[in-house]
Amino acid sequence: MSDARKPNETSTDEAQPGGSEGPGYTTPQAAIEESTPEKVAYVMGLYVGTDVDAPDFLGVVDVDPDSESYTEVIDRVEMPNRGDELHHFGWNACSSSCHVEGLERRHLVIPGQRSSRIHIVDTKDRRNPELTKVIEPEEVFEHDLSAPHTVHCIPDGNVLISMLGDRDGDLPGGFLALDEDFEVEGRWEPPGEIEMNYDYWYQPRHDVMVSSEWAAPKTYYPGFDLDDVEAGDYGRRIHVWNWEDRTVEQTIDLGEEGLIPLEVRFLHSPEATHGYVGAALSSNVFHFHDAGDEWRAERVIDVEAREHDGWEMPVPGLVTDLLVSMDDRYLFFSNWLHGDVRMYDISDPSNPRLADRIWAGGHFGDPAPVQDRELAGGPQMLQLSLDGERLYWTTSLFSSWDDQFYPEEAERGSVMLKADVDPRRGTMQLDEEFLVDFGELPAGPARAHEIRWPDGDCTSDVWR
Amino acid sequence: MSGGSVHETVLSWSAGRETVIGVRADESVLGAAERADLALPFGCRTGACATCTGRVVDGWIEHTRPPRALKDRHLAAGYVLLCIAEPRSDCRIEVGSDVRTELVSNPWK
Repeated sequence: MSDARKPNETSTDEAQPGGSEGPGYTTPQAAIEESTPEKVAYVMGLYVGTDVDAPDFLGVVDVDPDSESYTEVIDRVEMPNRGDELHHFGWNACSSSCHVEGLERRHLVIPGQRSSRIHIVDTKDRRNPELTKVIEPEEVFEHDLSAPHTVHCIPDGNVLISMLGDRDGDLPGGFLALDEDFEVEGRWEPPGEIEMNYDYWYQPRHDVMVSSEWAAPKTYYPGFDLDDVEAGDYGRRIHVWNWEDRTVEQTIDLGEEGLIPLEVRFLHSPEATHGYVGAALSSNVFHFHDAGDEWRAERVIDVEAREHDGWEMPVPGLVTDLLVSMDDRYLFFSNWLHGDVRMYDISDPSNPRLADRIWAGGHFGDPAPVQDRELAGGPQMLQLSLDGERLYWTTSLFSSWDDQFYPEEAERGSVMLKADVDPRRGTMQLDEEFLVDFGELPAGPARAHEIRWPDGDCTSDVWR
Repeated sequence: MSGGSVHETVLSWSAGRETVIGVRADESVLGAAERADLALPFGCRTGACATCTGRVVDGWIEHTRPPRALKDRHLAAGYVLLCIAEPRSDCRIEVGSDVRTELVSNPWK
């Protein structure tokens, strides 16, 4: 289905950038130098959990300032079912497969967080992608897994998906592997390596993967309940895996200051053994690294909880997403409840220095409307251009959690916003000209979640 | 259970809309609503996610699997998961997305 007229010049896939045999770029620096500015963004759009009788969709957003449909949702690929809660998604191939001849970065793997259904979308025509395959939930449940989350391609053309629950939505979670034809290959790791699961990132050159913890699906699906925190039902550990053996070598308990460790980001350099994980509830960022004999994680950023008029307890920032720029110089993260996006200089990875921040929406952001549009949520999923000059974000976290903390978002829908970044000076400025309004879609207001670029992301590309 | 019987089930939305559907003894309320072409919210369909939460104000419902997403306090208050809920009598059930939002509130507020 298309919401806009098809443009005359339909951009299709081009030759592999960088002249390499496979998809992606030979190095992170090549990605910065050889990439062209993003023209479309793929964004998850959601109706799950509302009374709008429509399925979730992959939104194609025009982000080309020279285009007539700039800042519009120009196409929507509707999923075949309702109730999926599309959340995070990933490519069939990234720069980790740069050496694999014949492989293309072309298919998006789009799981339903609630349904456990997995969709494959072909983006050969970038402005009009097409759903080509659906893996039904029963096929996933067969491997005693549910609640798919992070999708990474792995260097041989296969796809790995972190799974947060067992077939009943209880613990333990694990990992599901798909082959290059998107057939379910089975469970990637020996069952029982971990209890809780969430996000993960791997550095093949160091034979290492780091995974984080949210909770059992049955715990977080209905909404956030402090009783569950007190009962110890939320995660606070990260796991360091042997990538080849697929086994956990070390588990690091982040303690009370590391409650609900979500997004995991290694630096992009394949040489690096430094990375970050954001602890959402404690509102901290931890730096982890290989200390030689073992891996260590230290809290390097602490977001102070703030008093809110009329609220009973100090409100945490809720660090829900973070990313590292392609040149490994800056760390960005969002405080979804407070309403700010922060930029830190990480030239010294263990000593991040606050460079700049933007307030937009949230419960403390003195939320000035953008182009007269009231912001009904706080900054959430982030994506940065490969050259590090344009930072974009959406405002929805998870449908049931949105309803608790930003109930008006269900009626108004999400927005996608953008800041112009000056990497040389370490500054950001909100671009008031840029507003994508997911409240204005034909079926009704939609939520918007993760963002991806056709030519590689600061949150998905890995180098071997 | 008593196969073959059909229970008259009133679905009631907060905006005031009401619809009556017949739910067979061997099908879930969600399944019967879909058969009647009525859109109710749902997610996991396994009793884990609470997206399909309804609240029984009259009648008798049995869950065919453990309702994992509901806590004891929710069950005591009449909340049910319509994806795994089968009526055992005629029922009146509050439905729609705002029933689920009653399960949890903003803990800081």
